[in-house]
Amino acid sequence: MSAALDDSDRQDSIRMVRESAAAVAPVGGDSKRIRDLRMQMPGFDPAVLRQMGDLGWIGLRVPEAAGGAGLGLGEMGALAEELGGALAPEPLIPASLSATLLAAAGAPAELGRVLSGESLVLTAWQERADTLEVPGGRDAARRFIPFAAGADAFLLPVREGGKLALYWQDAAGASLTTEQTYDGGHLGTLAPAPGRKLADDIGAVLEQALDDAALVTGFYLLGGAERAFAMTLDYLKTRMQFGKIIGTFQALQHRAADLKMQLALLRASLESAAAVVDAGATGDARRAAISRAKTRAAEAAMLINRQCVQLSGGIGYTDQYDVGLYLRKAMVLSNQFGSANLHRRRFIATAPAEESDA
Amino acid sequence: MDAIRIPPPAELDSLEDEQFRHVVRAFLHANYPEELRNPPKRLHWSENKPWYFKLAELGWLCPGWPQEFGGLGLSPSKIIILTEEYERYGVARTNDHGIVMLGPLVIKYGTEAQKQFFLPKILTGEHIWCQGYSEPNAGSDLAALRTEAVLDGDHYVVNGQKIWTTLAMDANWIFLLVRTDKNAKKQEGISFLLVDMKTPGITVRPIINLEYHDEFCETFFDNVRVPKENLVGQLNKGWDMAKALLSFERIFLGSPRQSGYALSRLKLLAERMDVAEDPTFQESYARLRLEFEDLKALYETFVAKLKRGESLGPDVSMLKVIQTELFQKITDCMLEIAGENAGLLEPMEGNRNLNATGQFIQARPATIYGGSNEIQRNILSKNVLGMPG
Repeated sequence: MSAALDDSDRQDSIRMVRESAAAVAPVGGDSKRIRDLRMQMPGFDPAVLRQMGDLGWIGLRVPEAAGGAGLGLGEMGALAEELGGALAPEPLIPASLSATLLAAAGAPAELGRVLSGESLVLTAWQERADTLEVPGGRDAARRFIPFAAGADAFLLPVREGGKLALYWQDAAGASLTTEQTYDGGHLGTLAPAPGRKLADDIGAVLEQALDDAALVTGFYLLGGAERAFAMTLDYLKTRMQFGKIIGTFQALQHRAADLKMQLALLRASLESAAAVVDAGATGDARRAAISRAKTRAAEAAMLINRQCVQLSGGIGYTDQYDVGLYLRKAMVLSNQFGSANLHRRRFIATAPAEESDA
Repeated sequence: MDAIRIPPPAELDSLEDEQFRHVVRAFLHANYPEELRNPPKRLHWSENKPWYFKLAELGWLCPGWPQEFGGLGLSPSKIIILTEEYERYGVARTNDHGIVMLGPLVIKYGTEAQKQFFLPKILTGEHIWCQGYSEPNAGSDLAALRTEAVLDGDHYVVNGQKIWTTLAMDANWIFLLVRTDKNAKKQEGISFLLVDMKTPGITVRPIINLEYHDEFCETFFDNVRVPKENLVGQLNKGWDMAKALLSFERIFLGSPRQSGYALSRLKLLAERMDVAEDPTFQESYARLRLEFEDLKALYETFVAKLKRGESLGPDVSMLKVIQTELFQKITDCMLEIAGENAGLLEPMEGNRNLNATGQFIQARPATIYGGSNEIQRNILSKNVLGMPG
């Protein structure tokens, strides 16, 4: 359905999603809610996750027939961008990933509770750092599960006879350890236990869903970088030193201009990749578009956030100043669903050859 | 390993450089507390004082001070060797503002009475110093500072606020830049004042930084009465003395030790992340390593000047810029190869040698403190290149 939207309908649809995001991520809202949730378990507000469910966000990409909104990556990206700007910690991206798998697996009861935000179900697919591959070892520890302490259940891909089956494992009784992250959230490591099989072959769906999550994570990083940059511009336009507003110094003006260019490239890269996917691209064309955008997202978000701390001076290095919250978030998210190095390699391996006059 | 005899402090400076290096290694091996190696964060006084007292007891506390004042009287080149070996061994910084900053200042500019009173108390650890320079509206523009000291009988009365007073909660004395003449040109109305932190009217408030650490503080002064004999040097000449210290700070901050440590940890991390043989990583590593070697070469030219007894010019700012930005590039690379570990709050696998995020976060303020790199570039363009304006 998403592919059928024409451009003006799509822009309307994206605008509506952005407006709805204000319910959770009010423009100009303060950071108190975010700060209060840091270093606590589960690190997000389950009531806000339910609110996200009520607003239809967890199932935004799930087909309408399965109870979702059937929208595209353009809409999902715009939503993530708004949430990134507000630093909302609720694990919307991992929850949507699980919703996509449950829809494909034909598990309507489980899917219903995930879509409403009543249950948080996390997909425990990862066995080592910086990968998009899913070996599906039956006993291999599953690592780097964001906000795992808040999960009601896990979805485990397990390799069986060359296919990836999908298993359900309840969180109650699971062997789970967590490590705190710099943004105040945490990552979990899960020891797999025998569970209930939901599907025999989830491999192709999972591969695409991980790619989608990579792209949506890029949009979340964009929202954060935009907000940190806006705060930094305000600072440059008001901070006085040497009897002048520091934004009058040409050296700093050029630095700000350079960051603006990175933001423009980042947005263009993400939105064009989302458009490629929403237009129905498959295979290597889809992979290349997403890898291009995630590479840019990881690098530009880190660059912009580092520079925003630098341009803010000493205050930028304090916990009380919000600019640093965006840097910490970027540290946690830049490498999730593949680092820039991984995506650069994959881009070259999957991109169509450059056209040449020769 | 053959036992190396550690000569008495007074003989250290006459050793050959390589021999001295081996002595330092043996000294650390024999004396440095194992549990304090490579601490993930800057240690507080309560944590580092066993080492401070050990150094004091053995006479090794103040390497750069002349022997007549209780220092080791080491030449600059030996101090550099000492620093390199400390760094290699993972020696924690102590609360060293008295040793590194205030002591040398008092030795150079202090009265006889000030030398006799203050220097021995640094050597015993009775006085722990912190630095009161920056203010909320006088950071890069330090000379705009407004904390003022007004003479009232035998005392100066100090009012104002200092910020980034590193480890002020651990200190019992603070050295301050204060405004003593509001009518003079801004650099010419500043004096250097020593203040007992127990004096009524001083409040210290920790500032939590991006590392979730309270290393920095803000310190408030409300009608704090300071005996006028605690003024160092001449009235209204504090700026020149502070600048002399700042150029020393710049060669310290420009020392390749931070980058060298980070580079060695980058390599360990690459091995752990299984990318050490990856050509992409190898190229990044080669670039960083080459820049590190060139930084060392440049650093040595400045050290050679010091060895010849020359003083350093404004071009020492280059070292600070190159070193701190290299430190950042190395730690950026750490995060790039760390995968999801790039977000962890604690060192991965509990291994301090794999503390990518800690190194990355600690590299952030390096380009801000000690005169931001923007200010260093101003100095280079104006005072080295003679740019107009």
